Amino acid sequence: MRRLLSVLTRVLLTLLSHYRRHIAQTLFLAIGLVTGVGLWSAVQIINDHARASYSEADQLLGAQASHWVRARDGAGIDPADYIALRRDGFTQLYPILETRLAVNDEPLWLIATDLLALPRSESPLGASGGDWPSLVQPPYQTWYPPDLAADFGIGPGDTLMLDDGRQLPPAALQQQPQQGRRLFMDIGAALAVLQRDHFSYLGVGELSSAETDRLRRALPNHLQLVDNRQRLDLTQLTASLHSHLTAMSLLAFAVGLFIVFNAVRFALHLRRPTLHTLRELGASSRMLSVAVLLEALVWSALGTLGGLAAGRALATLLLPPVASSLQSLYGAVVGTDIQLGWARILLAWGITLVGLLLALAWPLWREAQQNIRQARSASDDWAADRQARRWLALFGLLLAVAALMLHSRMSTVTQGFVVLGLSLFAAAFVLPVWLASALRLVERCLPEPAWKLRWALRDAWAQLPQVRVAMMALLLALTANLGVETLVGSFRSALTIWLDQRLAADLYIQDDSLRLAAFTDHGAAPWLVASHQRNGVQIRWSGRPTLIRGLNTNAPDSRALPLADANEHLQDWFDGDNDWVLANEQVHHLAGVELGDRVQVDTAQGPQAFRIAGFFHDYGSPYFQLYLPYATVERLWPNASPEGLALWLSDAPDAEQQAESALLAAGAQPGDWLNQNTIKRVSLRIFDRTFAITTAMNGLTLSVAGIALLAALLALHQQRLSHYAHWRALGVRYREWLLIVALPLALLVALTGLAALPLGALLSSLLVHDLNVHAFGWTMPLQWQWPPALRLAALTAAVLGLTLLISLWQVRRRLPLALKQLGEDDA
Amino acid sequence: MLELTDVHKHFQQADGAVRVLDGLSTSLAPGRSAALLGESGSGKSTLLHLIAGLDSADSGRIVLDGTDTSAFKDADWAAWRRDKLSLIFQNYHLVPTLTVADNLALQARLAGRFDGDFYDHLVARLGLSDLLKRLPHQLSGGQQQRVAIGRALLHRPALVLADEPTGNLDERSSAAVMALLTELVREAGASLLMVTHSPAMAAHLDERWQLTNGRLETAA
Repeated sequence: MRRLLSVLTRVLLTLLSHYRRHIAQTLFLAIGLVTGVGLWSAVQIINDHARASYSEADQLLGAQASHWVRARDGAGIDPADYIALRRDGFTQLYPILETRLAVNDEPLWLIATDLLALPRSESPLGASGGDWPSLVQPPYQTWYPPDLAADFGIGPGDTLMLDDGRQLPPAALQQQPQQGRRLFMDIGAALAVLQRDHFSYLGVGELSSAETDRLRRALPNHLQLVDNRQRLDLTQLTASLHSHLTAMSLLAFAVGLFIVFNAVRFALHLRRPTLHTLRELGASSRMLSVAVLLEALVWSALGTLGGLAAGRALATLLLPPVASSLQSLYGAVVGTDIQLGWARILLAWGITLVGLLLALAWPLWREAQQNIRQARSASDDWAADRQARRWLALFGLLLAVAALMLHSRMSTVTQGFVVLGLSLFAAAFVLPVWLASALRLVERCLPEPAWKLRWALRDAWAQLPQVRVAMMALLLALTANLGVETLVGSFRSALTIWLDQRLAADLYIQDDSLRLAAFTDHGAAPWLVASHQRNGVQIRWSGRPTLIRGLNTNAPDSRALPLADANEHLQDWFDGDNDWVLANEQVHHLAGVELGDRVQVDTAQGPQAFRIAGFFHDYGSPYFQLYLPYATVERLWPNASPEGLALWLSDAPDAEQQAESALLAAGAQPGDWLNQNTIKRVSLRIFDRTFAITTAMNGLTLSVAGIALLAALLALHQQRLSHYAHWRALGVRYREWLLIVALPLALLVALTGLAALPLGALLSSLLVHDLNVHAFGWTMPLQWQWPPALRLAALTAAVLGLTLLISLWQVRRRLPLALKQLGEDDA
Repeated sequence: MLELTDVHKHFQQADGAVRVLDGLSTSLAPGRSAALLGESGSGKSTLLHLIAGLDSADSGRIVLDGTDTSAFKDADWAAWRRDKLSLIFQNYHLVPTLTVADNLALQARLAGRFDGDFYDHLVARLGLSDLLKRLPHQLSGGQQQRVAIGRALLHRPALVLADEPTGNLDERSSAAVMALLTELVREAGASLLMVTHSPAMAAHLDERWQLTNGRLETAA
């Protein structure tokens, strides 16, 4: 046994010595592993972190409350009601003020409470050594989590100026477990500084069911007790986004794996004489296999360490935009301090090892089939490649059939991703056949005098076995780029049109507490053409948070509502018929409701049924939405709160000025209203930030494919150096060499790009028409995006040019030695 | 006319410098052929490499057809090989992806001196008419070497350098290839310098040069 181990160690060391002599190959193998694992782990770290943050959100102030006391009209809680309830013996109640502030148009959340009123279950806040006397006494303090303070460039004692001109109390850097990524203030200070006279809601600590009933009965009519279901909603709403990110990371990992496969293949190829010599010296093929597997183990450990380090760095870079998006879209508060657990490290190692073994399996099996010292001619390699191409194509076709079959019965996001993966890999496996056939076809079309082109094409054909894996990686990266760019482009263009339609008004007043009845009488204000007051309430319906909105069905923006589908009763809805409702298309796709169906919802007057007159587009919304006439909502949900007022101004040159004066006179504060362009700008900024990670992942995946191409070319050129030396001995000029090597490679890349076009369209169609519907419940028109496709073509050409330049430099550097060695293998 | 004057070349090895060529001088008249004989490691191939510009001499002059190569740069050497020389190796070194026809024409096309009539003549003389559409791996060793000879002569070089051209062939094929090579070189009007171990092969040529201790001796 000891002898066996000693022999095995010797064999392993002999095999590993290869990497010392081939630094470039070692580097590429490491790059493949590190980038693949890095991209995958970066997204996993982000997803883990976000999920952990959702769990933490459960610990946030107010989130642990079993119930909340809220005002039925959404106007907030009068402190007098709170004091009265406390006097009634409900000491488990505590006041919360939650509000969204804005600094340089960036949203910022503030939470405030009365530390002394917090029940024991919420007590960690304030008990961790914070200077709470300074918090509750003028000039007060604002507690900033350190990472948030860093984002805003705030130091201890600094004061932050809000967009509305108000100034927050001096900063103190404090991280309270129940604060999350929010500013924290004492509620008295917050009311004073923000000039509010109401709390947002009251949190309710531990209560027995009897006490809960007593509280419900004790509440005045304008207040209600509501269940806390925040945590469930957050996990549910964000699941699809995390699935998307995971799918992208797996794709990046697969592309990384292609580099590894190529590097391993070349490493084994170059070590073929060593393997044969070891077998001649008595090492069995089984022992060699074990040694190669041990080598894989060593590489996987190194790759995991490097990959996780790279992944962590990447996650640190990508997390802030993802956190902002989660906050903007879902109100999910995600911190930016990353933790890396042992489970993640072990999983990364496991997945790397599996990836490496997959990459090794085929070359190793082929090696094991070889007899010792069996000479392999070029024709043997071509024959083997022809056979491999056929097998790959057959496997690809099987995957395509499986994708087609699954597509017809696809009903979940996961199944959607499986179809997507199957389609992508089917295309990648069929690619070599497409490339070989296309090269042959082009070659046949060449006239007799075009001998250089013929040489170039035949040379490319012969090099296919070496570059096909890189081309497959490139195809995956290009397809993913085109598909996702088309999705994002279509989404952005649909959103822009939608915002134009939805935000038809000139001014939007956001202050819910402001009563602006004066503005609804158009005749009273010459600068006002039309107004639209909306109200709304959030309920749960069909297992999901649902917004019930009351509209003036004849307002300009209601008339222009972008509809996905409608029946003949749409006019009834416009006429304000209480029986009909418009729903967003999420209701259709996720809850399976059809036009004309009855939907039953809970109202203050008991369950009430409405019939669906139409579905409207509601891009990006995670909620169900039902639109009813304003009066109906007011009648059925007395607790519905005003949801702002839209104003259409006249063409008079000073209309906006007059409007602002009137608003100020009505008690609005500067900052309570926004113009159309600001909302659009903010919406599109949130959109772009949301997809920043997609763009980053796309760019990185393409870079990985570029590295795969470079690695393949460098290894290929190293392998073919003696060929080039012979060409040079025949008098081939460098420009001729470049033509023969570069032109076909450019052709191969172009053919791969050509294949990526329909595949990218297919991918985007799958993403838009299937996955998006299953994941988010909304559709949009697919718009093929030429600018990103052209940008991608230019980028690919640049990557190709760069790889060729590096190759040329390498060849020129090494050719003199190869020329000197010319004929040595003849002896 | 090939002229070598006071050519020196040494290699640095672990146990010191090895002088492979030590002031070697000789010449070969146009249309003449010479066999380069010597023990293994005596520097035969090195001398061939220096003449072809595949390696550089420490000092000395190499002149062919009145062109002094002393100041040659890399591109000049490539042009030199393409226009003035041709190389024939033991392992033929045909381009595996090109057909016999394209391999034959390759160097002449690179030099821009493709002559259709001479091509037809060579194809007929080399007995390759039926093999033109084949790829190199579909040919025997003797057939491959005939293609290599045709490729080396089609552009009518001033000098053909051959390094053990029959080393991979059996005795019968060697004799046939050798006879063809010398005949065709003569027809092309080129000079031939051939490295060989075999006195029998050397006997086909006009002169025999023995390389010993870095210098040449003209053998009988």
